[in-house]
Amino acid sequence: MVSERFASRWDTLAFVACVGLALVARAVPEQAQEAVSSGVRRTVLAPFLLIEEQTSRMRAAYAQAERFLAERDSAALRAMNATALAEENRQLRQLLALTGRLPDGFVAATVLRQATPTRGLTVVLSKGARDGVRLLAPVVTPGGLLGVVRSVDPQTSVAVLWTHPDFRVSAMTPDGGVFGLVQPRGGSPDLMTMLLVGVPYRDTIPPGTPLLTAGFGGVYPRGIPIGTVMGMLDEQVGLARSYVVRAAVHPGSASHVIVLVRRTPDVASAFVRESLP
Amino acid sequence: MNGRGDRLRRGTVLLLLVVLHFGLRPWLGTGRAAPDFLLLALLVYAIGARPGKAAIAGFLIGLLSDAVRPVAFGSAMLAYAVVGYLAAWGKAVFFAENPVVAAAFFFGGVVIRDVLVLVWGGGLSGGGAFWQLLVWTPLQGLSTALVGLGVLYAFRRWLGIRLTG
Repeated sequence: MVSERFASRWDTLAFVACVGLALVARAVPEQAQEAVSSGVRRTVLAPFLLIEEQTSRMRAAYAQAERFLAERDSAALRAMNATALAEENRQLRQLLALTGRLPDGFVAATVLRQATPTRGLTVVLSKGARDGVRLLAPVVTPGGLLGVVRSVDPQTSVAVLWTHPDFRVSAMTPDGGVFGLVQPRGGSPDLMTMLLVGVPYRDTIPPGTPLLTAGFGGVYPRGIPIGTVMGMLDEQVGLARSYVVRAAVHPGSASHVIVLVRRTPDVASAFVRESLP
Repeated sequence: MNGRGDRLRRGTVLLLLVVLHFGLRPWLGTGRAAPDFLLLALLVYAIGARPGKAAIAGFLIGLLSDAVRPVAFGSAMLAYAVVGYLAAWGKAVFFAENPVVAAAFFFGGVVIRDVLVLVWGGGLSGGGAFWQLLVWTPLQGLSTALVGLGVLYAFRRWLGIRLTG
C-alpha cells in the first residue's frame, strides 16, 4: 500500500514537466506572461473573481454602514438646524422691519434662556442697564407684547412674560371703544390664552377682534398688539364681562426681542402692518 | 461508495475550498494571515492522489495564483507544483491519522510554498521577506492548519479519511 504512494516514473515525469513549464513561464517575455494571465483571468478565474468582487463590495458596504448611518444622521441634524435658522432669520427680518418703524428709544436683545412649557414665566435677555434697559420696560416682538422687564443687571435683564401670574396690562379694541384688563389665564403657555376682564357690561366684543395696549398706567405705550378675542368666557350680569384672548406672541417662540427703553405714548403705527388685520 | 461518487464528493469539497478562497478571504482583512484555501485544496487533493497528478494540480493552481498576482509569473506554478508533488509523495511517509501530524502537514505546505515563491520570485531581498517568513508565513500556516483540520473533520467521510485522537 505504501509503495503505491511513492512516485512512479510517470509521476516523476509529470513533476519534471510541471517544473519545466514553470521555468519556461518565468522566462518568457512579460507580454506573453500577461497574455496568459489575462486569458486565465477572463476564462477560468472569471466566476471566482466575480465572487471575490461581490464579496469585497459586501464587506466594504458592511464596514461603511455605520459611517453612512452617522452621515445620514448628521445630514438630518443639519436639515433640522437649517429649519431653525430659517425661522430665526424670519424673526430677525421682522424685527428689523419693526425697528425701522419704531420711534427712537429701543434696544434689541437676544433671549438667552427661552421660556419652556414648564418654565414659561420669565426669560433672560442679553441686554441690561449698560444698554439702557430699565425696570418695567415693555418687551415686544414683531408679533406684539411679550412681557415686561422685572429686574435689570448691568449686562442682562430678566423679563416676566404675559404668562406670569402677576402680569397685567390695560387693553382696548383698535377703535378705542372698549377697554379692559388683560391677565394670564393660567395653565400651560402652550394654550396661548389670556383673560380680558373688567369689560363693561354694556360693551360686547365680537370674536376675532384684536386687542391693543391702552397705554394706561405709564408702563406700556398705546398700540402694542396683545392678542385676539376668542369669545366671551363669563359675565357678571349688569356689571362686567370677561373674554378669552388668544395671545399675539407665543412665549416660547421668541428668540429676539425689542425692549422699549424710552417711554413713548403711542407705537400703534409700528405694529399695524405686522399684527392687525 | 463507488469511485465515481468518491471523485464527485472530493471534487465538491475542492470546489468549495476554491469558492471560499475568493468568497471568504475578502472578509478576513488584509488576508496575510488568513488561511490559504487554494493551497488547502491542493493539499487535500494530494492526500488522495498520486504525486504526478498532485504536481499537475499544483501547477494549475499556481497558474491561477500567478494570474491573479502577476508579480513573478511562474514562481507560484513552480512552488505549488513542488508542494503538490511533495505532499502526495511524502504523505505516505508522514501523513498519519493523527490530527497534529495532519496540521503539521498543512503548516509545512504553507511554509514550503512561501519559501519557494520568495526564492524563485526574487523576493528575498529587503525586510519584507524577513517579516513574511518569520511572522506572516507562520501565522498563515497556523490558520491554514486549523481550517484544514476542520475540513478534514467535516468531510472525512467524503474524503475517505479517518482521523483519530
